[in-house]
Amino acid sequence: MSLWRFFRRSKRDAELAHELDSHLAHEIDDNLARGMSPEEARRQAYLKLGNPLRIRDTVWETNRIAWLEDTWRDFRYAARTLAKTPGFTIVAVLVMALGIGANTAIYSFLDSLLLRSLPVSDPASLVVLNWHAKSSLLGDSVMQSMSGSTYDDSGQGSTAGIFPYPAFELFQHDGAQNNDAVFSDVFAYCHTREVRSMNVAINGQAEVASGELVSGNYFQGLAVQPAAGRLIIPDDDRTGAAAVAVVSHAFSEKHFGRAGTAAGQSILINNLSFVVVGVTPAEFFGVDPATVPEIYIPMHTNLLLGTGDTFGFRPADYLDNNYYWVEIMARLRPGVSLAQAQAAWAPRFQQWVATTASNDEQRANLPALALKQGATGLDTLRRKFSKPLYVLMTLVALILAIACSNVANLLLARAATRKREIALRMSVGAGRLRVIRQLLTESVLLASLGGALGVLMAVWGIRFLTLLLGGGQGNATVHADLNWHVLGVAAVLSIFTGVLFGLAPALQSTRFDLASTLKEIRSSQSRARDSSSRIRFARVGISGIGVSRIGVSQVLLVGQVALSLLMLVAAGLFVRTLSNLQSVELGFNRENLLLFKLNARQSGHRDPEITDFYAHLRDRLAAIPGVRDASLAEDSLINGENLLPISLPGLPTSPETRFITVGPDFMTTMQIPILAGRDIEARDHAGTQRVAVISERFARINFPGQNPLGRHVILWKRSDEKAIERDMEIVGVSKDARYGNLKREILPVVYLPYDQGFPQPNQMTYILRTSGDPLSYVNSVREEVRQADGRIAISDVRTQTGEISEHLHQEIMLADLCSAFAVLAVTIACVGLYGTMSYTVARRTGEIGIRMALGAQRGAVVRAVLGEVFVLVAVGLAISVPAALGTSRFVQSLLFGMKPNDPLALTVAVAILLGAALLAGYVPARRASRIDPMAALRHE
Amino acid sequence: MADNRQANGEMVQGTLDMLILRTLITGPAHGHTIAHVIEHTSENVLEVEQGSLYPALHRLEDRGWVNSYWGASENNRKARYYKLTAAGKKQLTAETNRWRQVVAAIGRVLGETAE
Repeated sequence: MSLWRFFRRSKRDAELAHELDSHLAHEIDDNLARGMSPEEARRQAYLKLGNPLRIRDTVWETNRIAWLEDTWRDFRYAARTLAKTPGFTIVAVLVMALGIGANTAIYSFLDSLLLRSLPVSDPASLVVLNWHAKSSLLGDSVMQSMSGSTYDDSGQGSTAGIFPYPAFELFQHDGAQNNDAVFSDVFAYCHTREVRSMNVAINGQAEVASGELVSGNYFQGLAVQPAAGRLIIPDDDRTGAAAVAVVSHAFSEKHFGRAGTAAGQSILINNLSFVVVGVTPAEFFGVDPATVPEIYIPMHTNLLLGTGDTFGFRPADYLDNNYYWVEIMARLRPGVSLAQAQAAWAPRFQQWVATTASNDEQRANLPALALKQGATGLDTLRRKFSKPLYVLMTLVALILAIACSNVANLLLARAATRKREIALRMSVGAGRLRVIRQLLTESVLLASLGGALGVLMAVWGIRFLTLLLGGGQGNATVHADLNWHVLGVAAVLSIFTGVLFGLAPALQSTRFDLASTLKEIRSSQSRARDSSSRIRFARVGISGIGVSRIGVSQVLLVGQVALSLLMLVAAGLFVRTLSNLQSVELGFNRENLLLFKLNARQSGHRDPEITDFYAHLRDRLAAIPGVRDASLAEDSLINGENLLPISLPGLPTSPETRFITVGPDFMTTMQIPILAGRDIEARDHAGTQRVAVISERFARINFPGQNPLGRHVILWKRSDEKAIERDMEIVGVSKDARYGNLKREILPVVYLPYDQGFPQPNQMTYILRTSGDPLSYVNSVREEVRQADGRIAISDVRTQTGEISEHLHQEIMLADLCSAFAVLAVTIACVGLYGTMSYTVARRTGEIGIRMALGAQRGAVVRAVLGEVFVLVAVGLAISVPAALGTSRFVQSLLFGMKPNDPLALTVAVAILLGAALLAGYVPARRASRIDPMAALRHE
Repeated sequence: MADNRQANGEMVQGTLDMLILRTLITGPAHGHTIAHVIEHTSENVLEVEQGSLYPALHRLEDRGWVNSYWGASENNRKARYYKLTAAGKKQLTAETNRWRQVVAAIGRVLGETAE
């Protein structure tokens, strides 16, 4: 009620004014009737009523909300005061904007990564099924074969989300068996190699799209409604059902225009006919934030897709208890908690998985069921980005701390010049609390302005970060936006920091002796008091300059210096890591290499003519003007990760050995030097002697001191390690080349021709050495491929250098961002140093003038001020260097090629900081030395 | 005069409210009339301090015991009229009873000491 009255105050007041006028008019009438003269009538009327303004005031008062009015008044006064010193205000707002903006940007990513729920109904009741095995997966276990990802839980075993299909059926029959069912829906999905990139042809146009195999009740379990048509239903997911597909909203818009026209269309997926039956809603992206499938197909269609593929799905895979490939999610019944579901199912799963073990060793290492909350989807993205984001979060928090202490310092210095004003206010009756409230209003206003500007900066920052985190790739799965949640955090941060950095100066500047402060002619008297004991200017100690002895100001500056050093060290570590990684010896020439993927099998080619097709295509590509060399391989060397049993005849296989199937002239194209013998050539093909080229390391391990040429190496059958799959003669030894990720050591590698038997070629990566920019040849390449076979689309077009950058993008991100943050931190700290020193020099102008008049040299003045700066920095370093040494092991896992306590990084950081600080202090120092003694004394 | 005012003129806030409500029971009136009525009816013993009349009227309106509207007065001037509400009537009865109780109690005390 009172709030309503509060807002109607003015109206009521106007009415009251009329009312009082009317009252006076009546009284005057009465008085006139009593016979008074008009003037007397008026006078008596007013006397009787009293002061109408006072009456209105009284009524106005009853409708007051005191604190609201006071706050508004404080706010307007604060705004006026800040506007009077525009320089200070702009600097402070900018500093706060940088701090709050950076924090908001990073937080919005953390928010989207950790907190954003799946765009389905009631995501909180979803659970993801995982299992955890205590030992590593190298020994004998029930997981005989796996397709999918497993995660190493920092040495404590492994976790994965893939299960055998019979296990899925076990979970699915939950409700049917007993009444205490915990899941209302159990559904499955799969993102294996077959569907990760599929050849999709629509009206003759071929392209590569990403897909997802889903169980019949996937969409039902997620409770998603179609945007058009219908979604996949259980009846679609069985052997022999008609092949249907559901496309994503974005895919539909790209290929079919409006969503409505997609349903009913016929498309070719890997040369098989599918009918599109519906479109998913625009915001739906599946259950994994890391991947956005464009096409969803029923799980059992993988049998159709697998025909003709050496490693394709067979009906037996659906019955195999030991082949782990299907991923499962479930929805909890209302009222059932995750813990209850875990307790109910863990023993049942344990029981089931024990029956799949065939020996004691397997029984000892059974995987245990682990249910995880599924509201935010799979944690692929979280695993990848959590650590770097937390590191960044810490860094921006440090920046904010620096920014806050900086502004606090500026406020302190400024407060010193407002002493008289504050003393006056307190002497006419404002309580200390009231003045503090006023000062805090100023600082909160400052912080809020900074926050508002910071949010604007954050918009730009988020865009930039999205690019950085995404590694320049097309998919925007790692993205963030400014939702209310994030804005709320920014607002809270502004107010909190405003109070934080305003408190100390507010408390400081209201604590002093009122009377003496008012009596001061200027602030020179206070200076006189504490400078009286210091005659020699040459040795200026800390206690001579500053608001008080070892004041808040000094502590803040020291803190800023310390934090800046930590950030410089972090930046140095990451920059060096990146530089180390970028200069890792590759063993091949990475310049001017064009890479792209091609899958002829998906568009219908079969053995044995598929090898001819690949060979002819290679010839055509080599003939493109500007292409110096052309070859192909099953994947690029950096992406390689292939283990098949290869060893010397009669010897056991080594888990270290890797292999890669390549085409002719591979070594030449990659510019890997041949140390002995020859490269794989066009004359090695199906029907000729089986050959292989081995790497230097392989030769050294297996043929120490001997000539490997002419010796044999065997590729064993996977199913039976005694049966020979390929028996190859070694025809060449190549120099070691990097295989797999850049951080691992060089492994022994065997290079086999792709067309001489098992494994039959599937998807291949073509490698072209070009003269000039590789990407300028893409169109010619596409044309050649189209002419060779119009059903095939190329994908993953990239340069070798680009691919390496993609692999390094986390390191690039950390290095770039940390450097930027470190520069930011140092800049802010130096601005703070500069500001504080300037104020100090300005305050002590009179004193410096006197000293110079008494004979102090200019040089001595400069040295003294710089010495002051140096002492502050030194103390800051003394604190932060041990801290840096102590905490750097936390980022050990993000570094490469160096120890965390890298002396070079530390030294450079210290040098940069010292240099910047002295530079910041130099200008005030020079200004101090230029003080004209006479002017200073007159100014006194 | 001064003595009278001292003894009787200071009116407790609640008392003024009660008197205003009582005045309005005969019908709506505007501020000026209310003041005069109270004075006349009390035979000028109670002098309404007109300065506290209007805040009192506003208070009564905020509490919902009176309603107000603009109207024309006897002198054909625009005036703000106040009218008793049902709640106000109830409040008046309650307050009058309480006042009578207080007066009786004071009377008993005075009566006793007089003896």
